[in-house]
Amino acid sequence: MSLTDQLLAALSLYGLPLLFGVVAIAAAGVPMPVTLLLVAAGSFVELGEMKLWQVLVVASGAAVLGDQVGYALGRWGGHHVLERMRRRKNGEAKIAQARAFAKRWGGAGIFFTRWLVTPLGPWLNLTSGIANYPWGAFLIWDVLGETLWVVLYVLLGKFFSERVQALLDILGNLSWVIVGFVAALILIWQLLRSLRPTETLHHAKVRGLS
Amino acid sequence: MKHLERKQWFAIAVLAVVLLITSLFAVRTVRRAVYWRLHRDEVIRPWMSVPYVAHSYRVPPNVLYEAIGIPLQSHDRRPIRDIAREQNRSVEEVIATLQNAIARERADNPSESQSPSPGRSP
Repeated sequence: MSLTDQLLAALSLYGLPLLFGVVAIAAAGVPMPVTLLLVAAGSFVELGEMKLWQVLVVASGAAVLGDQVGYALGRWGGHHVLERMRRRKNGEAKIAQARAFAKRWGGAGIFFTRWLVTPLGPWLNLTSGIANYPWGAFLIWDVLGETLWVVLYVLLGKFFSERVQALLDILGNLSWVIVGFVAALILIWQLLRSLRPTETLHHAKVRGLS
Repeated sequence: MKHLERKQWFAIAVLAVVLLITSLFAVRTVRRAVYWRLHRDEVIRPWMSVPYVAHSYRVPPNVLYEAIGIPLQSHDRRPIRDIAREQNRSVEEVIATLQNAIARERADNPSESQSPSPGRSP
């Protein structure tokens, strides 16, 4: 049985505690097919094996908690990474630029990696922490995004409760299409920037690396 | 046009790989979606519980419990994998038994349990 099958079987046996544990661990950065777990939980709600509000509260709570762990690791554990960067040439400027970038785009980035480009979520938790993105703002975007993620997929599973396996197969592929699409956009954007005339090139490079 | 730097060639190569992989997954997604439209029935998998299979195939759970020899009154939400292990049977065997029971139930009550197949006139 695949990892997904094992998780779904365990969800059927252990219910909410398993949902909480797996979602929290995944949000903290251990890669696991949790979106699929939410869809299955939605179908169990339709079957009457789980309660809708409990699933929504437990899953969002677990996701937000796991995200805070990632953020905290970045903020307090990323210290020596920062120190090493600072000692390098232009290090101070790069850190300042990374922070400015996080401040400007951080909210949107946090929000969309919660429910749309989910595989990038744990990585963004770490970088938000390292960039010292304000914790209050991080928490607000995080709660909004995670709640949307949970409601979206649980309701999807509830609605298509008779076809969970087929839905999982489609979603499993679709999530990689979205990630690939976003990665391609970022690469094209960076390429176009690096092709600009030389006087802005240095600037672009510094920003691109930061 | 000026020459591209080595780094830019590298970025173009990475982009090509990303686009290739993304289109592969896109094709797979479309194929799964087409499959979804053509096949009304789920494939029975080891993670599924008896109530889930009954729900998915729109047959009464009792019929399935009876077929695999589980007391009718129990609400057994264990996955098929665990039931098979307990009964010392292979998962495939249990799934085959369930499929037979579903086919029999549908043959007996065609109007109740059969899900409408696509393309059939109302």
